[in-house]
Amino acid sequence: MDLRFFEIYRNPEYLALLAEGAAMSAALTITAGLMGLALATLLATARFHAVPVLGHLAAAYVEFIRNTPLIVQLFFVAFGLPQLLGYSWPFWGHALLALTLNFSAYFSEILRAGFTTVAQGQYEAARALGLRPFTIFRKIVLPQSVQRMFPSLSSQFIFLFLTTGIIAEIGVRDLTQAGMFIDSRTFRSFEVFLTLTAIYVVMSLAFKTALALAHRRLFPAVAAR
Amino acid sequence: MREAFIAVFGRPEGIMLFQLVEAAQFTVYLSLIAFLLGGSVAACITLLRILPNRWAPRVATGYIWAFQSAPLLMLLFLFGLGVPRLLGTDIDPWVAASVALMLYTSAYLADVWRGAVETIPPGQWEGARALGMRFLPTLRLVVLPQVVRVALAPTVGFMVQIIKGTSLAYIIGFHDIMAIGKRWANAPVEGTEPFVVYPIMALIYFALCFPLSRLALRLEARLGSVGGPPRAAVA
Repeated sequence: MDLRFFEIYRNPEYLALLAEGAAMSAALTITAGLMGLALATLLATARFHAVPVLGHLAAAYVEFIRNTPLIVQLFFVAFGLPQLLGYSWPFWGHALLALTLNFSAYFSEILRAGFTTVAQGQYEAARALGLRPFTIFRKIVLPQSVQRMFPSLSSQFIFLFLTTGIIAEIGVRDLTQAGMFIDSRTFRSFEVFLTLTAIYVVMSLAFKTALALAHRRLFPAVAAR
Repeated sequence: MREAFIAVFGRPEGIMLFQLVEAAQFTVYLSLIAFLLGGSVAACITLLRILPNRWAPRVATGYIWAFQSAPLLMLLFLFGLGVPRLLGTDIDPWVAASVALMLYTSAYLADVWRGAVETIPPGQWEGARALGMRFLPTLRLVVLPQVVRVALAPTVGFMVQIIKGTSLAYIIGFHDIMAIGKRWANAPVEGTEPFVVYPIMALIYFALCFPLSRLALRLEARLGSVGGPPRAAVA
């Protein structure tokens, strides 16, 4: 039993692979996070306002995504859909779609909880002032919800980031894929995956810091409290 | 059983369905093992966390932080590939998957239960102490009965995360729904294309998880829960 971490960090090729993989993981997660948030806003609105048909569809979609594993969703999006509909995308395109769909379900539940925190009186006041429903939503409900739910959304985002490693299974050259490649070359599995774990932890800490900064910049009044 | 599936759904769909349902039992077993082992460890960690001691709570906090921050996939790789290579021995996928899921489960449950214990106002601890009760009797007679109430809903909710988490174990050679389903999806057999197999697998997982999610919601409505929206979410 000897540990040989140096076999990883002394090889410039491996270091470059890890850096590229980490960049790929971060880029896909951030993009999927933003797109997922946009989709989640639509889902949460449909459910919150009990839009006929759409509200029920959104509820079913959210429940289905939340109660099935990401990997099954990923494989369906990457292998099932293209065969069914006859299109072909690069690996990262499938991963981005699957992650966006997955993230949106989790975010929508948080946003929906945020919508309920906006007091009924505010709706009435806004309507009394003659604001249109869309304006009320965009100017009054959404900012307050995002503001209140920002900490929950941030931690959810970081938890979801930690699950993205499985996109390596469909061939995306992310951080996990880089680790699997180095493992297949060096056979130092323990060292490689411990290093990978450390990189994931550091990246999630970086996301946490960045999101805390964003919170302070976007909502200075609340963060100061 | 197998014949009944073939009689109803024909070949190869009947065979595939039977194998998937049969494999679902291993998903259930692994989830139960992870829950029982992880729950036991979590109980110890929670106890450490609230012990009136200088170091024990720090150790517990460190443990929770470490295994909550480490991706489950990495824990599986570490115990399924890393440790066997390091020690030069084979580790059964059952053992490796159980250990990885146990660590993952214990960290989350310990965090949930710590939150539940913290809902007890310090005045109750002080009151019990003023009545001459020691730490353990206070925990057992005063704190635990109240903690169980608020901890029940998030604990049941987390079982969904465990079941979904077991779907990653196929990567280290564990035979469950994922392993069987992936084999069928890759096989060039008509009627078991990926767009057929994966939705069926999703439905099996949904059938396992959805009742638990619903139960957690009902428990939360009846008994209350440790504050905040659901934190843990895993593929």
